[in-house]
Amino acid sequence: MTNSKIVADDNANVHSEGLLDNPERRKLFKRAAIGGGVVLASGLGAFGVGRASIEGKIDKSWPDLADDFKPFPQRDTMWSYAGSPHLMMRHPERNEQFGRLVKNDSRYNFQLQVPRYEHKGWDNSRPGFTQLDTALQHAGWCPPHKWDLRLGAMGIPDTQWFSWDQSGVDHEQYQFGTKLEASNAIRSAARLFGAVRCGIAKRDKRWDYDPIYNAGATVEMMEGAERMGVSKITDPQEMAKAMQGMMEHFKPEDRELSWEKDFPFEPKTVIVMAVPMDYDNMATAPSRTCAGTVGDGYTKMATLASQMAQFIQGLGYHAVASGNDLGNSVAYGIAAGLGEGARNAQLIVPGYGPRIRLCKVYTDFDFVEHDKARSWGITEFCKTCKKCADACPSKALDTREDTNYTFGGEHAEQPGYTWNNHEGIKKFHSDSKRCFDYWLESDTDCGACIASCTFNEPDYWHHWMIVAANPFVPSALHGAMSEMHPAFGYGSTENPAKVAKFWNTGEGMRVNPTNRNVFGAVGRS
Amino acid sequence: MELLEFFIMGILFTLGVQAFAYLSIKVKMPWYAWAGLITGGLTLLFGIGWAGSSFIENVPQSGSLGLTVFCLPGLLLMAFIIRKYLPKGTRL
Ligand code: SF4
Ligand code: SF4
Repeated sequence: MTNSKIVADDNANVHSEGLLDNPERRKLFKRAAIGGGVVLASGLGAFGVGRASIEGKIDKSWPDLADDFKPFPQRDTMWSYAGSPHLMMRHPERNEQFGRLVKNDSRYNFQLQVPRYEHKGWDNSRPGFTQLDTALQHAGWCPPHKWDLRLGAMGIPDTQWFSWDQSGVDHEQYQFGTKLEASNAIRSAARLFGAVRCGIAKRDKRWDYDPIYNAGATVEMMEGAERMGVSKITDPQEMAKAMQGMMEHFKPEDRELSWEKDFPFEPKTVIVMAVPMDYDNMATAPSRTCAGTVGDGYTKMATLASQMAQFIQGLGYHAVASGNDLGNSVAYGIAAGLGEGARNAQLIVPGYGPRIRLCKVYTDFDFVEHDKARSWGITEFCKTCKKCADACPSKALDTREDTNYTFGGEHAEQPGYTWNNHEGIKKFHSDSKRCFDYWLESDTDCGACIASCTFNEPDYWHHWMIVAANPFVPSALHGAMSEMHPAFGYGSTENPAKVAKFWNTGEGMRVNPTNRNVFGAVGRS
Repeated sequence: MELLEFFIMGILFTLGVQAFAYLSIKVKMPWYAWAGLITGGLTLLFGIGWAGSSFIENVPQSGSLGLTVFCLPGLLLMAFIIRKYLPKGTRL
């Protein structure tokens, strides 16, 4: 050791001894250490409680079913009805009643508007509906329109991406060591293919559509309609004639399919996955702009679910990918512990709110840890909030405070009006006829109830903190919390500033120093 | 960006703790004044964190309202306590 080093060490000792000899300084160090320790301990404690809260509490009270609850026949979903000329002919009273009661036009017809849906012109003076926005809408929906996925989007089963084909099932079955290992492998594959959430539910016949319905429309028929320029016909009489001609030419046949006789195997597990929609794009709702992320979401649902079905088949088990077909995705999402059912009739997932799309894989593989329904106090929050119902341009959402077994909105008392509602389960019911009518009228996918939702937040700590705190917040404060959301600048709809903001979100993408919203970013997305 | 914000918040918390420790040996105040001062300090820091994140996520309305509803009351509470309970002529 050199002399200068020894001198330096001595000086340091003298200096530190001097420091500690000074009682004032000792007190300062002690208090700073205690204060720092207390702050650190409380911070870590709050973080731990927050993390536990975000995991959700097992919800044994779900589902709350009426004695006469039955699985729902798929033919009675709005999509099936609107996409089926056969159902139009079998149930003309549904069109007539809706037209008479809601549209003041008893000749109203859903089916005759579908071929023109998302084919209308733009309006360059209207933000969100300009050529730029319309181009984005068509680009977002281009993969579903190029493949037969547009049929799958309407709930038609056994299509190219949501195929029932089991020829890919490997003859050898892979054996996992533990159920946890199997669940983790499934979730890892789902994450890789674009899922932001993946839950594994037991197959539950109550949530399956029964019977399954195939409206009979085919790609050839849709392409034929395109060639014949059906989407350009504006006169309803002309449209009726054109559709009649198509029916005669293509002779589509609708069919009901049974789980026992037609489905290729007996499912035991349903893997439920959520794909995200873009925050800034969805914030432009209701507009053509946000149809970009909706169409893109439909595409991602299809690729994710079919890749996962292929993965399970490769492990030697039967698997069928599913989007809006086969079963109620929201109910399965709840059963898989992904989120809670909300007033806007969607699944609210902590961290995303309703800004996700759900897809599923039905499989007979059951050596997994099945998830259970959980609660984050979201349904409870919805009882006071109602921001989505206020924002809904078609007034399709039920505004009664509590959840109910039946739909209770306008005209609910009219015989047969609620044909599209799956009643008998306690939840927030909605009028999907009004909703779809607004989509047709505005030529958008709307999404106002997603954009306005109090739980639709960007991915930052302060929003997570509110989600984590929500179960502990007394319901008397929920109203104030839902008012704070728009006051702080979130959740407005029909807002041209949000359209302008979206069209600047690409700025900085050459480097994107935060890696925010980017697939493949390090850590959890 | 968010990580940088957390790092800066960590520094601010550390400085805050040291400032309180220093103050605690320099002045004598009743316990409720200390409680108020600490609450004010925490509210102020929370507001800075909230506003920082809101500006980063590009929602400036949330950032400015965060400054108003969290930072301002925090600062006012601290200023009130210092004026009311800090002995006159205290030299820090
Ligand atoms: S999508 Fe639009 S019309 Fe449909 S329920 Fe939501 S807000 Fe209402
Ligand atoms: S806006 Fe409010 S009431 Fe509607 S779904 Fe979201 S939290 Fe529930």
